Amino acid sequence: MTIGAQPPARGHRLNWEGLGATIVVSLAAILVNVPFLTALATSFKTTAAISDPLSLPIGENATLQHYANAAYAAGYDFELYFRNSIVISCSNVVLVLLLGIPSAYAIVRLNLAGRWLLNAVAGLRLLPAIFFVLPLFLMFQNLALIDTVWAMIIVDTFLNIPIAMVLLTRAISELPIEIEEAAQLDGASTYRILLSIVTPLLAPTLVAVATITFLFSWNDYLFAVVMTTTNARTIVAGATNFITSFGVLWGDISAVTVLSVALPVLLSIFAQRYLVQALAAGATK
Amino acid sequence: MIRKAVDNPAVDSICHIPTGARRRSVPKGWARWVLSAPLLLFLTVFAVLPVFYGLWISLTDQSVLRSDINFIGLANYAAVLTDKAFWSALWFTVWYTVVTTALVLVTGFVLAVLANRRFPGKRGLFTLLLLPIMIAPALMGLMFRLALNGDTGLIPGLLRHFGLDVSLFDPHAVTTLLVVLEVLQWTPFTFLIIYSGLQALPAELFEAASIDGATKLQAIRYITLPLMGPTLFAAGFLRAVDALRTFDVIYVLTGGGPGTITTSLSIYVYKMAFISGSFGVAQAAAVLILLIMIPLAPIIIGRVVAQPWSKK
Amino acid sequence: MLAGASSALGATTVNMVLWPGPEGDAMQKVVDAWNKEQGAEQGVRVKMILLSRDNTFSRETTEIGAKSSNIDIYFVASYNLNFYQAGLEPIGTIGVDESNYFKSAIDSLKIGGKLYALPLDVSNHFLYYRKDLIARLLSDDAWKSKYRDITKTVLGAARDPKDPSEWDADDYLATAAFFSKSANPDSPTQYGTALQLKTLVFNITHWDDLLWGLGGNWLGPDGKANLTSSAAKKAMNIYSTIYKNKWTSPDSAQAEFSETNSALESGNAAFALQWSAAYAELTSPELAPRIADKIAVAPIPGNPHSTHVHALAIALNKYAKNKDAAEMWMKYLATPQGMDAYAKAGGIPSMPKVLSDNVHLNAAFAPIIDDVGKYGYSPPLFSGTFDAMTQMIEALNPGWVGITPIDDALADANQKLQAQLDKMK
Repeated sequence: MTIGAQPPARGHRLNWEGLGATIVVSLAAILVNVPFLTALATSFKTTAAISDPLSLPIGENATLQHYANAAYAAGYDFELYFRNSIVISCSNVVLVLLLGIPSAYAIVRLNLAGRWLLNAVAGLRLLPAIFFVLPLFLMFQNLALIDTVWAMIIVDTFLNIPIAMVLLTRAISELPIEIEEAAQLDGASTYRILLSIVTPLLAPTLVAVATITFLFSWNDYLFAVVMTTTNARTIVAGATNFITSFGVLWGDISAVTVLSVALPVLLSIFAQRYLVQALAAGATK
Repeated sequence: MIRKAVDNPAVDSICHIPTGARRRSVPKGWARWVLSAPLLLFLTVFAVLPVFYGLWISLTDQSVLRSDINFIGLANYAAVLTDKAFWSALWFTVWYTVVTTALVLVTGFVLAVLANRRFPGKRGLFTLLLLPIMIAPALMGLMFRLALNGDTGLIPGLLRHFGLDVSLFDPHAVTTLLVVLEVLQWTPFTFLIIYSGLQALPAELFEAASIDGATKLQAIRYITLPLMGPTLFAAGFLRAVDALRTFDVIYVLTGGGPGTITTSLSIYVYKMAFISGSFGVAQAAAVLILLIMIPLAPIIIGRVVAQPWSKK
Repeated sequence: MLAGASSALGATTVNMVLWPGPEGDAMQKVVDAWNKEQGAEQGVRVKMILLSRDNTFSRETTEIGAKSSNIDIYFVASYNLNFYQAGLEPIGTIGVDESNYFKSAIDSLKIGGKLYALPLDVSNHFLYYRKDLIARLLSDDAWKSKYRDITKTVLGAARDPKDPSEWDADDYLATAAFFSKSANPDSPTQYGTALQLKTLVFNITHWDDLLWGLGGNWLGPDGKANLTSSAAKKAMNIYSTIYKNKWTSPDSAQAEFSETNSALESGNAAFALQWSAAYAELTSPELAPRIADKIAVAPIPGNPHSTHVHALAIALNKYAKNKDAAEMWMKYLATPQGMDAYAKAGGIPSMPKVLSDNVHLNAAFAPIIDDVGKYGYSPPLFSGTFDAMTQMIEALNPGWVGITPIDDALADANQKLQAQLDKMK
């Protein structure tokens, strides 16, 4: 239910406006997707056809070889990488929500530490990620966590907590407080209120946070490359294995890109509605 | 005693508090600590400790070239501050951030306003528009490289087909190219945030305006823009923070060159750490980058609070 | 030295880093064979860790900087061996027979007289050219006469076209002009050559070839940086003239290995200075159908012909847990049998005899043996070599693409090189 949509124009003007919007938005959609479309087309072209920019992946120029290479090329265990990515990203989501929801509630409703904590957490995002590479590597080294999924989960949580906290605190602050006060008057404890009342109300935001966290975790490159070698390698880091000393295997790496994007895309289709809702400023409950 | 949520500046600075939101009274303080303990513990171990460790490294001469590690005070900081390359990386990064953020807000806003109506194919186009956000920036950089390759890339191929023999990697135009690519990659992101913000604007205002005879453009100028202030700001802030740290696309396409003209701060630190192997210096550079950004924070926060829109 | 190899718990696993591509693929086969046979006997199991080319060295830098024991055998190269020295263990105990190797390869892996790494692949440059086009240039009178006209303009004096194996830097420059539409509208190719000018550390090596081929060097006889010599200026001029006049695509500013291959494969360029590793791709009917049967190689233009040579190699981690087992594996790789297996699996080992025994497998072997033996050189190798190479390309490529005046670029590069040298003392 979009309360902010422009009121429909009267009469025949609607058709022109609608059509105009479709055209412009379509152009934009194509333009921003040129890289992806290139990857998609390239992944199906034979290596010879790839050197012709305007060739299409049809007929004798089409091949599934690159997908075969991506899936079971020598030494690149993509099934493992894919599993790792899923395990890491999903665990990351769970951890972020577990850490974030109670703390966000404590900050907004329970006056925890006021200004500096939330700003500090949000400010973590300002720190250049590269500052943490060596310290975290050394720490994980000592904990024997290098090349384990736990290292990635921890690092990704650290990276995603700031934005999760920003979204969660905002959403909580927009919940009408009366519901909680009523429950309080009924004798419910703070924990009870958080669990049974507030959290369900946050559902759209939770979906948004989960989606964003999952995405950033899935697509992380710098830390995946530093913290993993083989056992915990993610699909994005593994994709770079196709940057060889022989030059870039464009067909293969395009296939990998398409594969690695498949899951996030499906996720986003599902979560689209919640993303918009959660990011909208203002309550529409 | 029920206190207003608006008394909490932390909440104000990030959240847009509708008038009247309040906070519950808190008889005891335990619950808040229990609830936030997991996060605080996590941050202490994995955020605070590394920060101190990183600071410590910045005060040493730790490097791949030596087995011993010695405390050298602020020598690394001096080295970075006197390095011409650092300042040109800083200048380039700031310029890049300001320009791409401004542009991406404009394109995102225009698209969001246009898309803010019913039109055929909206659902599918929406999904397509959000697709670039799903792709890892590192892979996106590679895809750009493929699409822009002078001999085999789609874009030059198309341009040549239409008779335009343009070199996209011309050294004088390479920064423009990078800006264009950044805008293409991140417009969907700002679009999403701004579009969501538009959904929350009350329809009555627009109806009233249209009854009063205002044109669409006037409505946008006098109603939409002012009300969207905080949202535009949030989108811009999120985008700017990421643009300051830009690494993947630039590194893949230009390696920071020609020369060092497209070397961003992240690339500078990366090279210092992994090519010179000077970890101490690299950490010091990272700290300096943070110190430079910290003064910007109050300005940013101050602007949001000062919005006339959020009445107290 | 076989003490403790097969413990009651089973084989020891040795972790070795390799980078992906032909080297990784070839090594995987050798590793698999070893694990099944000799490795099983000796209780040593090798596990290969593949990292992408872009990340291999930066990841190893992190590991070595952290003094980790995760990896037993590191993948290194002549140009960064000194960089990693603090974390490596000399491998004298393996008992390597140095006479099996190209002298330049094995010497490039010694520091202070001690061998620190075992050579694997030898890497050099060739002048790849379209033999069909050159054949025509050498026989067609109209073309020859046009060539003379062009050389008059470009070089100040007319000269006849030569076979690529006899080119010096001037022939290279003039022929680039001849095959470019901007200088010769009748040219069959858009551009004469395809330079690799991207700010990538490996790209400086092609320019070094021209420098050496003009009698220049990074260092003067006094051991100080010598990049402001007249040879260096001339080399700079060649690059910047080619770029300025569009005898290479303007996109060359961001080109490296694969872009150069694309330029040749698409028929847009007539010749190029390129790594030996490109040979397989450029001559494959599958991967480069348009030119596979039209490509030939010649030594890098110059007087003397000079090609940068480096060896890819494996080195022992000072903090490795399984040094004995690792050394057993390396001992095998140091034998001609081991390297023969590697060559048959697709590698290009640094052993001349192994290469000549396997010439039927890879046509590139013959020119490699020739060129590396006769024309190979290596830039000064010290702890700052890798860093210096990076800084040199950052300083010089603005001069190549016309952003900075040549003299300024050279002065900058010279100063940076000297600074690296000074750091050593």
